[in-house]
Amino acid sequence: MPKQNAKTGEEKPAQLLEYSKAASLAARYGISIPRAEYVRSKEDAERFASEKKIALKVISDKALHKSKSGVIEIGLDRSSAGKAYLSLNAKALKARLSPFKILAQEMAEPGTEIIIGANTDAQFGKLILLGLGGIYVEVFKDVSVRTCPINDYDAESMLRELKARSIIAPDKRSEKAVISLLRKVSEMVVANEWIRELDLNPVIMHKKGYSAVDVRIMV
Amino acid sequence: MDYRKIDLLFKPKSVAIIGASENPDKVGHVIMQNYIDVGFSGMIYPINRDAERVLGRKAYKNVKDVGAKVDLAVIAIPAEGAIRALEDCGKAGVRSAIVVASGFAEIGRDDLQKSLVKVSEKYGMPILGPNCLGVMDMRSRVDTMFLPTFKLDKPKIGGVAFVSQSGAVGSTVLDMISHEGFGLSKFISYGNAAVIDEVDLLEYLMHDDDTKIVLFYMEGVKRGREFIDTVKRFTQTKPIIIAKGGITQEGSKAAQSHTASLAGSATAYEAVFRQFGLVHARDIDDLLSFGKIFETEGLSPGKRVAIITNGGGTGVLATDALYSNGLVQADLSEDSAKALRKVMPSIVNVRMPLDMGGDADDKRFAAAMDIITKDKNADMIMVIALFQTPGADSRVAATLIHYKSNTDKPMVVVSPGGNYAQVHNQMMESSGLPVYESPSAAARAMKALLDYSNYIRDTCGIYGKGQKRQK
Repeated sequence: MPKQNAKTGEEKPAQLLEYSKAASLAARYGISIPRAEYVRSKEDAERFASEKKIALKVISDKALHKSKSGVIEIGLDRSSAGKAYLSLNAKALKARLSPFKILAQEMAEPGTEIIIGANTDAQFGKLILLGLGGIYVEVFKDVSVRTCPINDYDAESMLRELKARSIIAPDKRSEKAVISLLRKVSEMVVANEWIRELDLNPVIMHKKGYSAVDVRIMV
Repeated sequence: MDYRKIDLLFKPKSVAIIGASENPDKVGHVIMQNYIDVGFSGMIYPINRDAERVLGRKAYKNVKDVGAKVDLAVIAIPAEGAIRALEDCGKAGVRSAIVVASGFAEIGRDDLQKSLVKVSEKYGMPILGPNCLGVMDMRSRVDTMFLPTFKLDKPKIGGVAFVSQSGAVGSTVLDMISHEGFGLSKFISYGNAAVIDEVDLLEYLMHDDDTKIVLFYMEGVKRGREFIDTVKRFTQTKPIIIAKGGITQEGSKAAQSHTASLAGSATAYEAVFRQFGLVHARDIDDLLSFGKIFETEGLSPGKRVAIITNGGGTGVLATDALYSNGLVQADLSEDSAKALRKVMPSIVNVRMPLDMGGDADDKRFAAAMDIITKDKNADMIMVIALFQTPGADSRVAATLIHYKSNTDKPMVVVSPGGNYAQVHNQMMESSGLPVYESPSAAARAMKALLDYSNYIRDTCGIYGKGQKRQK
């Protein structure tokens, strides 16, 4: 439930839940998120990049749109991660994003970006949204919405309703992955009423399934 | 609220009209006159502080003086006095009430509305309104509306319940419905929904055997989650066609001051309508146009539409209309094609749309209908009957009515035109054959029917038994 001021009835402004908390909550509902941890030094970043390619992101309340503010570096390996860490750190200081942390996350397989979101309606409670991700969601407004909880029929029809359905889920396997993910998100927001808004943006649909590379929860 | 209590509003055996008056300018006068005019067979008790008699009947100073059982009180006095009158009703054991007066939450007088709710709770008395027109029941001849009968055409008796939050939309649609060949079961204008709200009304109509479909104009719901629970079950047995006012931000503000409805985003309403099988009408035109096909036609097994026409150009437009609404043309079976070639003049090209030519008469229509109503490849039928052509006359209308009553396939007629066409359109509509002015209006309605049919097919295992709709 949105927290309300008992006297004025006004809603308090929403707060961003700290990333690691959001990610571990999502993981508890079986939502697949790439391995990630906060890194505190150049060496830390290099160590984390020793197995797979990674991304580094500045996490700050003041940097809600990471790709827009340029405080993200992607496709880093052991040789480039350290340098990228230092430059991100400098950028974030210069942009006055303090306090901030730098999150290292394994890169997901390449694939199609989709968005799954949830928010809270005053009348009907939790709503869930599905759309093609990236810049397209805003341009084409090709999204489908349902009230939670949703069942398999609802999830299927959300997908069927989209013009981009064959891009999002070109085959049975990816269709199943989207449907199952939608149901997990619905279950999660219904069980945790204090979640006002949730954004999995983007979720990358790829050969091995999907990866929710960013989780934002507003409380 | 127990929905069964709402029955009292529609089938009272005795009615007290508070504010009944000899003065024809008073709302209470019009309401009482209506009760007399429509032939209400129960007791009528006019309540008026100053009159001995009203419209030839003994008047009482207070409802408490009646001294007999009163099933329904219609409160036709201004808001301030209405609360006192309701309190008197409660004391007198009146079983239900309709408050037509405005001047409550919709103008910021939440205090008065709260008092009204309190009285209802105190005496367990269901109250409809305030700020509403009340109800009309076509069978029990109850009419609490304060609109003079001569100003408003009243529809015939049938299976459509029309529910409107707004009285203005309610009365205009009611007037229009009577020209659309609709048969009405009940009309309900419920205004601010202080006690009886949309959820209660839907629960009631779900159990009302006289009602086969519901047309609904609303500006907002009071109890979102309960609304979902109710419509989920409702739409499995009867369709609800719904138009919602206030879908833009500005419209929503206007609605709030109008019937004091809580907002809730337009996106959320659309999601709910789609998710639980409500047929979403974009406006009042849609409401009427969809209502017509749902009242008379059963579910459609699929999206393949056979078009037969006595005008080539209209057939082309109809084909476009099908495809732009997500419908497709039926691909007639080999047998049908063969049979058609035998009965149609050689000049007729046997394919879809079947253009029978401007000289097609009732016999040619009959020959085509005979074959197409039996073709398994056609799920629905659209007949374009242009009455301007030399061959088309009343016999064509009679032929279409005949075939309509002999097929299970959803069937509509497209017949644009002036007086001559209109006469025939009324003939067909009053025989239960939906008629549209344009192919696109017909196609939109068919698409709405198809969406609902698909919804029922896909969800009957989830939300209910998927009862077969009665026709």
